[in-house]
Amino acid sequence: MGPPENRDAEAGKLTARTQAIMKRMLPMLRGIGGLALAAVLGLSGCGRPGGTSADAGGQGPMTVGVSFETLQTEFWVAALEAFREELGKRNMRMLEAVADGDANRQLEQVKSFITRKVDGLVVVPKDAKTIIPVLKSANRAGIPIVLFNRPPDKSEARSVTVVADNYAITRATVDYMVRQAVRGGRKHKAMILIGDLGDINSIGRRDGFDDVVKAHPGAIEVVARIPTEWNQEKALAGVVNALQAHPDTSFIFTSSDFLFPSVVSALKSAGKYWKVGEPGHVWLGGFDGDGMAYQMLVDGYLDADGVQDVYFEAAAAVQAIVDLKAGKAVPERIEDVGFVIHQGNVKEMAPRMWGARTRRQGERPPGP
Amino acid sequence: MTAEATASRPSRSGLRWGRLLLSDYAVLVLSAGWFVGVMPLAPGFATWENLANLVGGMLPLLVVATGQTLVLITGGIDLSVTSTIALASVVGARVMSGDSGWLGGSVLAVPAGVAAMLAVGAAVGGLNGAAVTVLRMPPFIVTLTTMMFVSGFAIWWTQSRNIGGLPAGFVAIGARTLPALLVALGVAGAAHAVLTRSLAGRWAYAIGHNPRAAFISGVPVRRVTLLVYVACGCGAAVASVLYTGRLEAGSPVHGQRILLDVIGAAVLGGTSLFGGRGTVVGTAFGVLFLGLLDNSLNLLNLSHFTIMMTKGAVILVAAWMDTVRRRLDTA
Repeated sequence: MGPPENRDAEAGKLTARTQAIMKRMLPMLRGIGGLALAAVLGLSGCGRPGGTSADAGGQGPMTVGVSFETLQTEFWVAALEAFREELGKRNMRMLEAVADGDANRQLEQVKSFITRKVDGLVVVPKDAKTIIPVLKSANRAGIPIVLFNRPPDKSEARSVTVVADNYAITRATVDYMVRQAVRGGRKHKAMILIGDLGDINSIGRRDGFDDVVKAHPGAIEVVARIPTEWNQEKALAGVVNALQAHPDTSFIFTSSDFLFPSVVSALKSAGKYWKVGEPGHVWLGGFDGDGMAYQMLVDGYLDADGVQDVYFEAAAAVQAIVDLKAGKAVPERIEDVGFVIHQGNVKEMAPRMWGARTRRQGERPPGP
Repeated sequence: MTAEATASRPSRSGLRWGRLLLSDYAVLVLSAGWFVGVMPLAPGFATWENLANLVGGMLPLLVVATGQTLVLITGGIDLSVTSTIALASVVGARVMSGDSGWLGGSVLAVPAGVAAMLAVGAAVGGLNGAAVTVLRMPPFIVTLTTMMFVSGFAIWWTQSRNIGGLPAGFVAIGARTLPALLVALGVAGAAHAVLTRSLAGRWAYAIGHNPRAAFISGVPVRRVTLLVYVACGCGAAVASVLYTGRLEAGSPVHGQRILLDVIGAAVLGGTSLFGGRGTVVGTAFGVLFLGLLDNSLNLLNLSHFTIMMTKGAVILVAAWMDTVRRRLDTA
């Protein structure tokens, strides 16, 4: 270490450099700091009803912690909105968290809800196995927990699951399509886009499709089964390749509506995207009931869509929490039987289709 | 001394604040400030239960970020840590599972499973290190492709299925706070000791500053770089032990979404993306701050999108501070 005067000189140099840089950076730092503060405090202030500073465990309305695995598709955003609406209607408070596909983060978030002593939990699990520690934590705390859309694996942990009957809804949708498509003895080459086989919902949809097709031997021949792993790029590549290998494909079912952009793009490239009733029309069906499917139905391109009744599911989940809290018996599994929307019933069924509602909301001009 | 000279001379408090802002402890001060500031706004934030939950959730991230810190100090980067976590998770579960494991029910299941997980981490790290040192390929592209390959392999091997039925002894390592804390502190402490008290640690910094100068000075650059990648892979494997135990299942997608947190925690803690600078203690502070931020923003009931934007902005500011520090060092 040098003499004191040298140290002072070094400190002076460092300070001068620091100050010069800080002087240039200060306005930027102020801007960033202001933005962060505005983002955090401003948004928490103008947030939702749950965003209060009162503890959830106190007297007052019931509080429900809602943890979603992701908000990456329109379905999940609509479902979260349905919960917000349902809880609002019942004058209940909602705390929300999204795990962004990370099971560890979901466990942490649910434990946070538990420390806030919420009255109930609604969770969309990352998967059937990693949700089990979450269920155990809720059970230990004595807080009722409802799983939304995905059932857990078998374990000693207690929960209620609200889930769409994927098999039955798909079966009804494909059955409607096949009955219409084979009229007059017509035969079709078919394609199915399959989801992630680790997801029990995609297995149910695949089985629903397969069982209908098996019941019509000779009329429907499945020439392509495209594994998408719920990925749009994989779906696009798969449909393009399948249409090249089987250009006479005339019947396509996708296990989720969010893959329609890939299907439509591939059909347009192949010159096969025609309205219902036009020559060359490829029979199209899907599952979910999203905004694009609704628009395709209205525009006359989509034949049928299996719809999950998100509003029923949200209401059933909240009711289950209320009942469990009151000590009433609730079945372990509550099924949404959904419905099929098709060219013949669009006007009648659209008000129950969540995608129709989100599409109309998106069309509204922004408020003042 | 003239009045002008006195005016241009920096004040002591300005100097102190400037130094603090650019020091490794800035994030600790920020964490303390955040904690105190958010405490009255976020109900349940400062309770023992919540803090224990927060610490439990942070430990796997601390372990994997510690390994990443070592690599960053040498001027490299390891993007494959998340897929290493996933592959180690399913390999370990395949060995140990009481449902379908190769050693299910055996007393050797847990030690063999953990050893297999560490072997996976060392193998992936060795592969990265070899490609960077022997083939002289850029770490970014090497580890990016390793990430894709390893992740694809884990998903193909398991067909996206999770593996449950893990032994209770293994689950306890990750699910209980005390064993997980001991494991995480052991890894971080060992890495800290190597960096601060060993020749290998000084070599790592020297490589990060200037690999050519380090080589000319007699530093075994290739060997040290290779070992650093192996250590990072092993860190990811240990993190995988904690994640897999905590979630009671081996999964081919464990840790898939934490890459930004891993690198962000190291950078927040003062580790330079340009190499030659960083400490394990700083990274621990970075992990602490990210944990506090995540937890408190959730308790404030902010939307997912706001939380993502806030975290992204914080990490961006940390990266910018790194650039400022580097400019100061080279000015």
